[in-house]
Amino acid sequence: MADPLQGAVAEPGSTPAAATAPAASPVGSASSDGSSRGRRRRTLHGGTSIWVALLWLGPALLLIFGVVVFPAVQLVRAAFSKYSITGLRLGDAGTTNFKNVLNHSSLPTVLANTVIWVVVVVALTVLISLAVAQFLAKDFFGRKVVRWAIIVPWAASLVITAKLFTMIYDYYYGTLNLILTTLHITSGPIDFLGDDRWTMASMILVGIFVSVPFTAYVFVAGLNAIPDDVYEAAKIDGARPWQIYWRITLPLLRPAMVVASVLNIIYVFNSFPIVYTLNDRNPGFLHDTTITFMYKLAFKSAEKDVGMSAAAGIFNVLLILIVVVVYLRTLKWQEQED
Amino acid sequence: MARTRTALIAGAGATALVLSACGGGSGSGTAAGGSGNGATKVTSIKLVAAEYSKDHTAAFWKQFADKYKAKTGITLDVQVVSWDSIDQQSSTMIQNNNPPDVLNLNVYASYAKDKLLYSADEVLSPAVKSDLLDAFVKSGTYQNKMYGMPDLSSARALFYNKDLFTKAGIAAPPKTWDEFEADAKKIQALPGGNIGYAMPLGPEESQGEFSIWTFNNGGDWKTDGKWAINSAKNVETLAFMKKLAVEDKVTQNNPGKTNRAQAFDLFKSGKAGMVVGFSPLAGALDTDKKVNYGVAPMPTKEAGGTPQTFGVTDYLMSFKKPGNQDAIKAFYDLYYQTDQVNTFIKDEGFLPVTKSGLAVFASDPKLKVYLDTLPNVHLTPTDDPTWDKVKLAVQQNLGAGVGANGDPKAVLDSLQKTAESGG
Repeated sequence: MADPLQGAVAEPGSTPAAATAPAASPVGSASSDGSSRGRRRRTLHGGTSIWVALLWLGPALLLIFGVVVFPAVQLVRAAFSKYSITGLRLGDAGTTNFKNVLNHSSLPTVLANTVIWVVVVVALTVLISLAVAQFLAKDFFGRKVVRWAIIVPWAASLVITAKLFTMIYDYYYGTLNLILTTLHITSGPIDFLGDDRWTMASMILVGIFVSVPFTAYVFVAGLNAIPDDVYEAAKIDGARPWQIYWRITLPLLRPAMVVASVLNIIYVFNSFPIVYTLNDRNPGFLHDTTITFMYKLAFKSAEKDVGMSAAAGIFNVLLILIVVVVYLRTLKWQEQED
Repeated sequence: MARTRTALIAGAGATALVLSACGGGSGSGTAAGGSGNGATKVTSIKLVAAEYSKDHTAAFWKQFADKYKAKTGITLDVQVVSWDSIDQQSSTMIQNNNPPDVLNLNVYASYAKDKLLYSADEVLSPAVKSDLLDAFVKSGTYQNKMYGMPDLSSARALFYNKDLFTKAGIAAPPKTWDEFEADAKKIQALPGGNIGYAMPLGPEESQGEFSIWTFNNGGDWKTDGKWAINSAKNVETLAFMKKLAVEDKVTQNNPGKTNRAQAFDLFKSGKAGMVVGFSPLAGALDTDKKVNYGVAPMPTKEAGGTPQTFGVTDYLMSFKKPGNQDAIKAFYDLYYQTDQVNTFIKDEGFLPVTKSGLAVFASDPKLKVYLDTLPNVHLTPTDDPTWDKVKLAVQQNLGAGVGANGDPKAVLDSLQKTAESGG
């Protein structure tokens, strides 16, 4: 992960150096560690060039510090502060906020919900997207229309999608219940959002619905990147379609799969609008994930404590970081096994 | 390590840049330093107002700002914020030590407790204060000083669907809980899947729904200055509500998980026989012209009881900032002029908060049922900062009491505990 970043940082600064030293290797091949390090040393000694570099980097740095670093510092500061219900900072809190989060009676429920939510949504999204991508990668009449249609749920605002689904799921007027009862699939309407047995499943369905487009497109790109001659060779060797898929398509899709699953884990974990909107009628934390838990702690629950919420926010960042690192490590380890 | 430190220093620099940019852009006149009486007078103040309706709120405050500017020469920056996000936004402003000058919200006591607010003695003219209805002066008073100035009020009453009542053979709206229960059963029994009573005990405003029921049973949140959430009367009330939902099955599905907006929708569609509503609901029903409805006082537990009206008022509060006191005083002077406050209230479909306003609205026969009760209206204990937290606890927990396995007493006991421990 660190290599491309270093390369990117070195690039703007290296421009003047490249101009004075035309013999230097072209930028594209300069990503090897040795050459980029050597060049950076040269530019640093060059005097003015560091200011030129800063000038070029300035807007980006400003943005990063304003949007990433400053809020992060504020988050940590808030997590160690004691706040009044109005938001007024009353003083230092030490680690009280963190302890309060860890001792919260609903934390086990919330964590279990988060695991179910992330695992089920990501797993089913990947499975469904694999099928959808196979379909979209084929050449057929009207493919363009279908491709556009699949983009729609991705392009629509999540809040709007979630609101739409509250109408579809509605106990009295919902289209889903209308279909189910008219076709006599169920004897009466189902309270998809109020019945505790259905709430999580209903939210997961929407989660999958909005995640599939992006994932499918990642897979379509992955499928298109697989050269045809590999398939030809397999066919000549007499491989059956299923064997081709299992032995060739899937292994070659692995990079796309890693990208799609990591990004989906992060997106789904951080997904706020779906869980919050579909769950807004339910009191308490019975169906909340760690993200909506954090929000409710700050503004909706009886705690109404910004400091405690900030502490929960730090736990959230750590949690997703650990999950992603562990996931990537496992993959690497598997790769080495292979 | 060295790299990290450089990054931090650069970060601090950038942050300072961002911050100073924000400070410069806010256009607020309060940047002038100093404190106390010697402070420079402000040239602009900021109002954060709650959005009561898309159509009227912003329009009202815009014309108000123009008049205010013409009168005082001070600019009034108005930011209209939806109810969904106003708690979050006001909290963020306080966190960043950047409160507005005037804030419009449904609570104030916590802000008063944090010593952030001007009291009425400092910013309200005596003539204005004496015009406010006593019930609202009382609810706006924290520790003997008034901090929450009522901007408008609403009172709840029982809305009933006349057509469904006729179909079910009910002659008049119920006066007692027994009659109520019997009527709800009759409506529920009508063919066509109707609902006797739409009961919203979901997190949006369960404290309101419960208040109007328990007030009519002689219950209350506090008695003699002490929390009484698990009093016998309150337990009896919640048990009755659970009976309606679970045993009689005369409510909509899952009342503990239904928000007020959804209950109103059921009544507006003509499906529900009764709902506790307020004047904005009447406005919506009059626009739709779909439901033939009547409005009646809430039934009481015992026969012959005096119906109690549950009222709600929202507040304007003003934050202590150097040099803004006179500007705020001028703000209230203008707001409480008869043609301002009452125009706002009329547009939004709410009820007056002043004695002079009562006279203005008296001509409207549709409002009579509310206006008669307004001076004696029964409010929630908004004057206690603990209530600000108790209210949230009620919203997140009360609904569980009317679930199939709900235990009304246990729910109220735990809320009482929350209240006694200070929220």
